[in-house]
Amino acid sequence: MSTKKITLLSSDREQFIVDEAVAIQSQTIKNLIEDTVPDEDGIPLPVVHSRILAKVTEYLTKHANYKPHNDAAKEELKNWDVKFLGKLDNNTLFDLILAANYLDIKGLLDLTCQAVADLMKGMSVEEVRKLFNIENDFTPEEEEAVRKENQWAFD
Amino acid sequence: MTYFPEEVLEHIFDFLSSHQDRNAVSMVCKSWFRVERWSRQRVFIGNCYAIRPERLVARFPRLRSLTLKGKPHFADFNLVPHDWGGFVQPWIEAMAKSCKELEELRLKRMVVSDESLELLSRSFPNFKSLVLVTCEGFTTAGLASVAANCRDLRELDLQENEVEDRKGHWLSCFPDTCTSLVSLNFACLKGEVNLGALERLVARCRNLRSLRVNGAVPMETLEKILARAPQLVDLGIGSYNHEPNSVAYTKFRNTILTCKSIKSLSGFLEVFPRCLPAIYPVCLSITSLNLSYAPGIRGSELVKLIRHCHKLQRLWILDAIADKGLEVVASTCKELRELRVFPSLFGAENAAVTEKGLVAISVGCPKLHSLLYFCHQMTNAALITVAKNCPHFSRFRLCILDPQKPDANTQQPLDEGFGAIVQSCRGLRRLSLSGLLTDQVFLYIGMYAEQLEMLSVAFAGETDKGMLYVLNGCKNLRKLEIRDSPFGDVALLMDVGKYETMRSLWMSSCNVTLAGCKTLAIKMPRLNVEIINEFNDMEVEEEENLCDSQKVEKMYVYRTLDGPRQDAPNFVTRL
Repeated sequence: MSTKKITLLSSDREQFIVDEAVAIQSQTIKNLIEDTVPDEDGIPLPVVHSRILAKVTEYLTKHANYKPHNDAAKEELKNWDVKFLGKLDNNTLFDLILAANYLDIKGLLDLTCQAVADLMKGMSVEEVRKLFNIENDFTPEEEEAVRKENQWAFD
Repeated sequence: MTYFPEEVLEHIFDFLSSHQDRNAVSMVCKSWFRVERWSRQRVFIGNCYAIRPERLVARFPRLRSLTLKGKPHFADFNLVPHDWGGFVQPWIEAMAKSCKELEELRLKRMVVSDESLELLSRSFPNFKSLVLVTCEGFTTAGLASVAANCRDLRELDLQENEVEDRKGHWLSCFPDTCTSLVSLNFACLKGEVNLGALERLVARCRNLRSLRVNGAVPMETLEKILARAPQLVDLGIGSYNHEPNSVAYTKFRNTILTCKSIKSLSGFLEVFPRCLPAIYPVCLSITSLNLSYAPGIRGSELVKLIRHCHKLQRLWILDAIADKGLEVVASTCKELRELRVFPSLFGAENAAVTEKGLVAISVGCPKLHSLLYFCHQMTNAALITVAKNCPHFSRFRLCILDPQKPDANTQQPLDEGFGAIVQSCRGLRRLSLSGLLTDQVFLYIGMYAEQLEMLSVAFAGETDKGMLYVLNGCKNLRKLEIRDSPFGDVALLMDVGKYETMRSLWMSSCNVTLAGCKTLAIKMPRLNVEIINEFNDMEVEEEENLCDSQKVEKMYVYRTLDGPRQDAPNFVTRL
């Protein structure tokens, strides 16, 4: 395994120094390393704040160093993922999804998207809107039409 | 506001599988509606006349799996005439035009023609799964098209369909390149089977997990099949009628010992019960056993078999098992979750089960949550005990063979017994009533059955009040079906808005009049109010002459986004 170090630079210009093997689990970072001349301070990730990048590197470090060979090890990694998610508040979770998407880290994206889907299960429309702070932009007539089609045909 | 790019939203939605959650998501805002619409792959439509096929494909262009239901449930009891409707053809036509990605079609109580199956087999290049339950209208020629043309077919599951057997060679239409089958069930077909083709097909489908054959497949063939497919998890046995000292039996007994994965057994359409010991070793590990098609097995033989089934979670059986046999089930099958006891077609008098068997089950099987029980008699005391022992019922369907029979001990109505069931089982979603019942039972249902979604009523109640208790009380009710009960226009018309919250209402041989139905249709234009009048189809003018005060024989009411249906036969009057 390569022990070459990579410096990542968050949007608020905080440096994160990680092993290359850790960093290149992100397809985006891998491409940046290959295709661009690095900033002397590190690889700039202008849409990821240090608060989120800390979480991303925590996840990547665990997953790079931990290649499960058997069911017990897989189970342990799964448990680690659950604990990792458990420490996040909703807003951090949402930001982490955006970061995982931008950085193209499939494992983290799946993990966080599943977590958000689990949050939404069984929620009413109003509760979902509140969770994501989304404004309803349907007209009352449009909303009623969708509601009716959902309830009358697809329920 | 949290902004997610569309591809991220779609990724999140992929983890939401229930229709309710997908529906909620689609109403959040316009962009979520759009993303959800383009990403929903599985759709369930509980009434094929609730919406037009064109509207389905317009909303969900990337549909992969569709489940559709047609005729009303009472069709299972021959209350719906043959040509009533429920055609799948327009759905397949609409999807063939714009949903090329369709992979799975599951149909219940629908009319499926050979033409439909032919079109289906040629329209969807990735088609994988066809499940037909209680459908009619097709022959083995249609199945031959599916076999020949669906190159990636994984599942062909035919349950209780009426199929005309034209060519016994449909099985040989699977091309030699077909190796993808995971599940094949043709137990309901009556005709001959090309045994060589079946053997070769099973041999090359290495991933086959479920195989249920019909009565034309003999033990010798099944033995050869099992020798090639020891990986089977679900086995439906066809003909099982050899002498225990025959070579075929000995071979079968040795081969089935090598099938260590079997978890589910069914069939035994033709059976020689003295051969049953060969399957005892398999019984030790099965979780599901369906002997409801095996009238050839007597009660004592059923009991010997059941004694080996310690792990059963689901048991479907004929009432030949008798109360004594159910006591053995109760002491053996501690994991039992679902029990169905069906009536034998003949010899039922001395075999039928009673309240004693049900009480024994409730004592021995505390995890039981789904019951269908055709019995000879019932008592309030038994139902009260059952309610106390098994509070987890979600489905409770009781059918006393003599419909208006009172409590067998006290000659009282069974109101208190069913009252105890609804009061104790708070998660009850489906209930079928039977026996002598007054309005009182409906008072209990309306009061306690908060989660109830489907209620079946036959020969019950005294006045309109009975039905009103249910309509007023059961807030989650989706389907109500009533036959031969004295409910009339007052009950029907008291709260007509209720029917827009329900999928359907069926009333036959009740006191509802034509005038009542007309009033309902006028007040609620988005409901389809249909009257089925089988005996009037010869007289076109009859409709005009029907007297408003005349009782209607059969009425079916359902909400729809589509207006009156255009394919109704002439014995169906749309109001």
